[in-house]
Amino acid sequence: MSTLVTVEHLAKSFGDHQVLQDISFGAEAGTVTCIIGPSGSGKTTLLRSLNALEIPDRGIVTIGDCTVDFATITPGPRGRLPKAQRELLAALRAKSGMVYQSHNLFPHKTALENVIEGPVVVQGEAVAEATVRGRELLERVGLSAHADKYPFQLSGGQQQRVGIARALAGRPSVVLFDEPTSALDPELVGDVLGVMKSLAAEGWTMIVVTHELRFAQQVADQVLFIDGGLVVESGPPSEVIANPQHPRTQAFLTRLLEPI
Amino acid sequence: MKRTVVAALTAILALVMVAAPATAYDKSSPAAGLPPVLKVGTEGVYSPFSYHDPSGKLTGFDIDVMNAIGKKLGVQVQYVETPWDSMFAALGAQRFDVVANEVTFNDERNGLYDLSDPYVETTGVVVVADDNSTIKSLADLKGKKTAENLTSNWSEVAKGAGATIVGVDGMTEALANLRQGRVDALVNDKLAIQNYLATTKNPGVKVVAQTDDVSRSVLAARKGSGYLPQLNSAIAALKADGTLTSIYDKYFTAKVAAPTTWELVRNNAWPMLRATITNTIPLTIISFAIGLVIALVVGLARMSSQPVVTGLARLYISVIRGTPLLVQLFIIFYALPQLGIKINPFPAAIIAFSLNVGGYAAEIIRSAVQSLPRGQWEAASTIGMNYATTLRRVILPQAARTAVPPLSNTLISLVKDTSLASTILVVELLRQAQIAAAPTFQFFAMYGVAALYYWVICLALSAVQSRTETRLNRFVAA
Repeated sequence: MSTLVTVEHLAKSFGDHQVLQDISFGAEAGTVTCIIGPSGSGKTTLLRSLNALEIPDRGIVTIGDCTVDFATITPGPRGRLPKAQRELLAALRAKSGMVYQSHNLFPHKTALENVIEGPVVVQGEAVAEATVRGRELLERVGLSAHADKYPFQLSGGQQQRVGIARALAGRPSVVLFDEPTSALDPELVGDVLGVMKSLAAEGWTMIVVTHELRFAQQVADQVLFIDGGLVVESGPPSEVIANPQHPRTQAFLTRLLEPI
Repeated sequence: MKRTVVAALTAILALVMVAAPATAYDKSSPAAGLPPVLKVGTEGVYSPFSYHDPSGKLTGFDIDVMNAIGKKLGVQVQYVETPWDSMFAALGAQRFDVVANEVTFNDERNGLYDLSDPYVETTGVVVVADDNSTIKSLADLKGKKTAENLTSNWSEVAKGAGATIVGVDGMTEALANLRQGRVDALVNDKLAIQNYLATTKNPGVKVVAQTDDVSRSVLAARKGSGYLPQLNSAIAALKADGTLTSIYDKYFTAKVAAPTTWELVRNNAWPMLRATITNTIPLTIISFAIGLVIALVVGLARMSSQPVVTGLARLYISVIRGTPLLVQLFIIFYALPQLGIKINPFPAAIIAFSLNVGGYAAEIIRSAVQSLPRGQWEAASTIGMNYATTLRRVILPQAARTAVPPLSNTLISLVKDTSLASTILVVELLRQAQIAAAPTFQFFAMYGVAALYYWVICLALSAVQSRTETRLNRFVAA
């Protein structure tokens, strides 16, 4: 296996608040990386940095053959990024698909239209061809019967699965999940995790910010515990979750497993 | 209120003309003579001097006199109908060459304009309601309310007698105000009042006094026009050959039968509908379409990350929303010619209305776009869309849903705002109604028909609005 995603010395502040201090890790192709940690620890900012939805202050992100050194990404005199830099970020973005906590589906498009929007409008795929593949993807997430429904006609779990199909439609190298089940009713969580499990089994490279420890234990190849903008502990789930070494990891897991 | 604004504007425009003279006016040197097509400004709603007969043809005492003068001098006469209060602003802006509208000679006017020899002489009369027995002379007007055209000579006479002036659009409105008891009296031209009493079944008003001074009606041209020698010789010739007398008898001696309300409605329903179809509706549709394009550009500029762009957009919106539409119309139509930019009435109205819609709709579009969750922009960016594609495919289709109700409001307001185009010489629905009502004093009937037409247009637009809303709401839970 080869390393697909490399993150080196990522740092990011919002005003005075340093959200990411110095984050480095790697992810092999075909593996699942789960990022856990208390709220406010910087997990989501880290994930969004991989997709350039946030622009880190420093650090290097490599996905496949695309490397971005964020120290060189600086706005021009009038607050806008120069064209070459925007193109570089777009190239990085194209390497990944993103699944959001609140799905962010386009409400004015049907499930199928949501899935094929990127391929048709951005990649210029023929509609007929994209439709065939879009239906396959929807079938893949168990929604072939709902292809022509609008998002508001679907349950939260179904919406999130459309979101997954949309993320896969761009043929990404890696799929990023930002707490995909946190906004769902508990009985709908299983559907979404089930789909994610089967994607992992198919060999998709995935980076997942999550609070689902059981999912992490069963599916993850590596777990990163992040707190205060630093990777406190990392390794296979059998170590980080089942046998944590660092006191902060232990405290976090205790709170998560015994909330009351 | 509207009249006050118009009067103030006219004053401002007059100042502008004085302040920035030279360029436009001095073109016509004293020996230039009359142009082959003489453009003549006239009210078109001042019966019996300048009005439309039941067939819609412009006629009246001043029109007949002017036609005779044109014939005598061998020039073609073309009329430009203009509300009295903007008559001299329009003359200054070279919308026409001569005013033929019972312009009364006075020294102040004589200093500002070329005034011809008189073609008719008359006095002013004091008119009150039939049941009024307290006002018997001009002096009795002290402390009373009189209805007058603010820029007319009679307004000065009444003010001189100590009356409080209520500004109105013309004599017909002044008489209506008097009959409805809103004012105590009016001072107006004897000939016009005679004609009114002769043609109206139950006038409800009476003449109680004459003013001392004889007022002489003259033609007015821009100072230094060089038209006076020819105009004066023609007037002298018409006096000598009896033409003026026979025109006078036609309007002020003969009894004219006034049409009934029903005849009036029947005669004018089609001309008013035609004005609606050829002016009101095109004005609305074209201005709204152009306005939306402006609004989109300005609304997006308003959200730009570049301070200069945002600042310009803010300034535009602020100016448009912070000034009356009527002022914007007047600036484009009457003030721009001072800078050498002369735009015809219809395109001038389109420009003013488009800019106005643009300012209001820009804020609607901005708020609709900003009401969308950030996640929509992010999701679009994640699947690789650039700014323009995101707007076109994701943001605007959703913003449309939020924007349609307030935009429909703007559109429906616009339909009625187009009536303001009447002040810059566009014969749209309201102007056509004024033309129809003027010779007969049947305001209720004609304005009623106009109101009905406006209402029907707005009903149709409301229907289109609900259909559009239904279509755009298909993707949200009921």
